[in-house]
Amino acid sequence: MIATALKWSRHNLFGKPFDALLSIIVIPGVLWLIYQSLDWALTKAQWDIIPQSLRVLMIGIFPADQAWRAWTAVIIIAALLGAGLGCVFAFRSRHAGFLALVWAAAAVLTGTSDLINLLFMAAAVAVFAGGWAVTSYIPASRRALMAASFIGLIAIFAVMSPPGVGLWGGLLLSILLTLVTAIVSLPIGILLAFGRRSRFSSVRIICTAYIEVMRSVPLILVVYWIWILMPVLAPQWNLADVARGMIGFTLFYSAYVAEYVRSGLQAVPRGQTEAARSLGMSEFDINRSIVLPQAIRVVVPPLVGNVLDIFNTAPLVFIIGLTDFLRAGQMILANPQYGDRTYEVYSFLFLTYFLVGSLITYVARKLEAHLARGSR
Amino acid sequence: MNTIVEMKSLNKFYGSHHVLKDIDLTVARGEVVVIIGASGSGKSTLIRCVNGLEMYQKGSLMVDGFHMPVEADRLLGGERELAAIRKGVGMVFQQFNLFPHKTVLENITIAPMRVRKKSKSEAEATALTLLDRVGLKAHAHKYPGQLSGGQQQRVAIARSLAMGPHLMLFDEPTSALDPEMIGEVLDVMRELAADGMTMMIVTHEMGFAREVADRIVYIDQGSIMEIGKPDEFFENPKNERARSFLARVLKH
Ligand SMILES: Nc1ncnc2c1ncn2[C@@H]1O[C@H](COP(=O)(O)OP(=O)(O)O)[C@@H](O)[C@H]1O
Ligand SMILES: [Mg+2]
Repeated sequence: MIATALKWSRHNLFGKPFDALLSIIVIPGVLWLIYQSLDWALTKAQWDIIPQSLRVLMIGIFPADQAWRAWTAVIIIAALLGAGLGCVFAFRSRHAGFLALVWAAAAVLTGTSDLINLLFMAAAVAVFAGGWAVTSYIPASRRALMAASFIGLIAIFAVMSPPGVGLWGGLLLSILLTLVTAIVSLPIGILLAFGRRSRFSSVRIICTAYIEVMRSVPLILVVYWIWILMPVLAPQWNLADVARGMIGFTLFYSAYVAEYVRSGLQAVPRGQTEAARSLGMSEFDINRSIVLPQAIRVVVPPLVGNVLDIFNTAPLVFIIGLTDFLRAGQMILANPQYGDRTYEVYSFLFLTYFLVGSLITYVARKLEAHLARGSR
Repeated sequence: MNTIVEMKSLNKFYGSHHVLKDIDLTVARGEVVVIIGASGSGKSTLIRCVNGLEMYQKGSLMVDGFHMPVEADRLLGGERELAAIRKGVGMVFQQFNLFPHKTVLENITIAPMRVRKKSKSEAEATALTLLDRVGLKAHAHKYPGQLSGGQQQRVAIARSLAMGPHLMLFDEPTSALDPEMIGEVLDVMRELAADGMTMMIVTHEMGFAREVADRIVYIDQGSIMEIGKPDEFFENPKNERARSFLARVLKH
């Protein structure tokens, strides 16, 4: 083990004079940084602030006695994510151990000792595994996934709304925003992508203009515009800030989804359409059953990357007064009692974003390899 | 109603490029017509006009009792005849064009189910019969990528036949195949011809053409230069260009 490490480092770190020089400067620097960070994290930092403010970080000012509603939402989300994963990766029993590990890691990271929360967390992990297994073993169930996602979203809204939509916040808000945007922008993006290739020039022009406009302005501007425009355009709806934020995000990211899907559509050979036409299939059937499945297959990895983009840009909703995960952290620090815990809170935020981000990136990379191998 | 295809001074342009020039051609039901000519002479374009994969601009074209609208009419929405024609005309491509994300069985059943509204069990029964006929019943649940080129092309033929076509178009069906697989595809086509299927075939397999064709059509630079019975055409072509073309291809 040590011998291989030495051998590896001789080849990779000290192979050439310049490499060796760099390594001599960089390695001690990095080691020093790691030492300092660990020293701080293990001896000086006061981590008790994390379990103490965990609820605010996770669900913002959502009432504590209504936490079961938030947990229900988390469980629905877990089921949907699991089912999504199962469409591409087959569930194996060895994954169960991995999931138990995820559960333990979450428990340790959050430092929670509340039995109810640990149980809910276990339920979410179990449901995730369940959804994963269902779509792995019953291929026919995959077709229902898009419909199930929409039903799941509606259920989440139903269960989360009674205490007041204005109370949503924390990591759960970031995740909900990401989920709604990712799910709703997919069909809209697909329609836009097809619209851009329509043989009716009016449809083509409208879709192209929409995509190009959205892609040339900043997200924060779109979110803000929708926020101030919705009450003017649809005063009778009286839409909550959260809903307006979700609409802004969805309208913005649909344009990006459309571009990814379009590149996938272009990758499907002409012969596929011609063969389907020669069989007498309608243009609608051809697009839905022959072209779209092949196009989506190609662009699954960038679409997963798009989900990460959505999640990482979610903090922008502070502009319309929402309290997402990042904002919740700042809210805790605004409390004078916790004023000196800045590094602890931001470290926790950093670590959580980093873990979620790497997980999504990892899945995207795995998918890419998997699809490349399976492209028969 | 003994005529299935009737082209009258059909003209086709790609922009200003005149690709088909005053084509007059009639195909009778049950007839096997083989179209030959140099590469780029317009053979593919000619047969792709028959099922409307290419549009023509001038002249007239009747297929299977329906009038194929010219380009101007199709752009205005005259696509009803097109749908009717395509239901009755099958086509086999040089590149097979099987649907890679569907199994062999799904490739064959999708059109009968969607277009002819057949039940799944009925479509699958027909598909298995056809697969048996092309010798691939054992491969029904494989994906196209798991089959050899010759096998894929036979599946493609079965897929077309599943729609119960009155006319089959073949555009160089063996040109993308390794030499040792050409025979198995030509055998299937021979059987089809023997069963009385009407076929329009573009091919460079001259021996096969001579054997199965009722008539040979020689086309050069977008014009039909000669139409004749295979024996007459191959032994004594009247057209000068046809003679030099044959001299070139028969040398190998
Ligand atoms: N999509 C196209 N756009 C412009 N020209 C084309 C197109 N397809 C074919 N052609 C031209 O039309 C002529 C006939 O082509 P084709 O029918 O494919 O010939 P063949 O099948 O006999 O080799 C050629 O000169 C070719 O360059
Ligand atoms: Mg050709």
